[in-house]
Amino acid sequence: MSATKASRIGEELWKTRIDKVNAELVTLTYGTIVAQLCQDYDSNYQEVNKQLDKMGYNIGMRLIEDFLAKSGVGRCSNFRETADMIAKVGFKIFLNISPTVTNWTSDNNQFSLVFDENPLADFVELPDDGRAQDELWFSNILCGVLRGALEMVQMQVDAHFVSDVLRGDDATEMRVSLVRYIEDEMPPEEE
Amino acid sequence: MAHPPRHSAMLSLSNSGSSANSDKQQPPQQIQHIANTGLRVPSNRKTIYDRHLNRSRNAEISRSSFAFLFGEMVTYAQRRVTGIQDLEKRLNEQGYPMGLRLLDLLYYRTITSSTSSSLASSSTSTAPPNRPLRILPLLHLIHGPLWRLLFNRPADALEHSVSPDTPNEYMITDNDPLVNAYVSVPKEMHMLNCAAFVAGIIEGVCDGCGFEAKVTAHNQPTELWPGRTIFLVRFGESVMEREKVLERAGIK
Amino acid sequence: MVVYSFYIFDRHAECIYNRRWVPRPSSMIGKSSRPTSETSTTTNTLPPVLGHSARTTDDDAKLIFGTVFSLRNMVRKLGGEDDSFVTYRTSQYKLHYYETPTNIKFVMLTDLKSPSMRVALQQIYINLYVEYVVKNPLSPVEHPGGVGVNNELFEESLEQFVTRVLS
Repeated sequence: MSATKASRIGEELWKTRIDKVNAELVTLTYGTIVAQLCQDYDSNYQEVNKQLDKMGYNIGMRLIEDFLAKSGVGRCSNFRETADMIAKVGFKIFLNISPTVTNWTSDNNQFSLVFDENPLADFVELPDDGRAQDELWFSNILCGVLRGALEMVQMQVDAHFVSDVLRGDDATEMRVSLVRYIEDEMPPEEE
Repeated sequence: MAHPPRHSAMLSLSNSGSSANSDKQQPPQQIQHIANTGLRVPSNRKTIYDRHLNRSRNAEISRSSFAFLFGEMVTYAQRRVTGIQDLEKRLNEQGYPMGLRLLDLLYYRTITSSTSSSLASSSTSTAPPNRPLRILPLLHLIHGPLWRLLFNRPADALEHSVSPDTPNEYMITDNDPLVNAYVSVPKEMHMLNCAAFVAGIIEGVCDGCGFEAKVTAHNQPTELWPGRTIFLVRFGESVMEREKVLERAGIK
Repeated sequence: MVVYSFYIFDRHAECIYNRRWVPRPSSMIGKSSRPTSETSTTTNTLPPVLGHSARTTDDDAKLIFGTVFSLRNMVRKLGGEDDSFVTYRTSQYKLHYYETPTNIKFVMLTDLKSPSMRVALQQIYINLYVEYVVKNPLSPVEHPGGVGVNNELFEESLEQFVTRVLS
């Protein structure tokens, strides 16, 4: 499936199959979650990143079912197709954005998602404490979502942000690498 | 993020008028504000100060995304609590700061969209910052504009307690709270109402307006609305006393 | 048509939900909607509908998993990775199968007169499982021992779907 076809599917689903809420409700709820974590972990931002990733992982494992139920798409035939599906269908129907897929490695196992828009960070400025801009990945939940969602469709991936406009970078970029395809699990004891 | 200078940001933006591309003529104090912080900014200046606050006003996101986020918030809250009351308290505490922020946003929106706002009509004053002074305008602000901002519709009812013992109690009803849309509460937890989060938001809005209050969420199912929830708003004594003084002074 | 039973298996090959509907006189249909299987997740020992041995529901679930898992794998070997089996029938019943790309397997056993249940199983996944189990914050992400699938919203809507829509 081509990237343009994926875009078309994403647009169409967004228009016809998706129940919507006010984006600001989501933005502010997410901000509340991050603020709570910063408080609970005493502004230990590494730990906050970890917790956000973990939450995202849990969300991803659920979200993939909703994605499949809404989109009705089947298995992707390769990782490049998976990348387009994530960017043009997944991000489209859940956050109404379409990050750019770019910077492929030659083995087709690693790519970047570059975000022009990020509704999670719409009202956000990081704390001016001399650390947050170096340590906190505000939108880290998204990495966990990808990890969780892809694991459910038998792909183990690594996902992490490499830059973020909130940190003063010129772009927000996430790196996604395929680690391996996961085999089907067998029943515990065979008789 | 934990202590963002949000309010000042909003005020300075509202000073700069409603034009979204007023980059070139920003008031000096706003530039000052950025320069005063130690934060790095992207060279293309993609900061919150460069974007119009109404950008996301009519933006939409999938309802599932909210459900998943809220679900994870509940799960996270559950990890750290001992019982249902504790869980509700924690959800309330998470909603509270969001209420404070939403209040800023509501004010800002009513200032910039001065015409035909229901918030403006609930006050006799024509001066822009329509801060409610009395209980009723405050509750109308919650029942109408706040609910619309959060859930795209007003709440379903607003009532005053009929009991003479509790004149400080008001009830806001939501027949089908968005936050509970996917929650199936196990029997052993039947008292739980995850809309405690929304109760916290309401509490934050009340407090932010200078109305000390406790707000709780209660299940009040009907045949037609199994998820019907009552938000019980209990104002503090100081609020009730001030209310009497204002009433005598003829302030609405 | 008659629906005998229904199973969900997760990606860890565990039966996370099962339910059986004992055939009952048609006069009862549409009245009190909750049938005999009030407690419906795993390890109960209702009399089996199929066969006559004293197998437990648990054993049934294991046998069914083994059957569909082998069939699915054989079908893939023969017809390619994208092929999947839809149903098989014996002289006594029909088994209907639907698997999601996340390896969740939905299985329904019906009488022989039943038409294809593939769409029905897909509907159960999309409209009931995803909406009431996956999105329920009080259900865990995964369901070892069936925890979280057996919630009221899911069970009641499944009951309605099977008794009102399918029958």
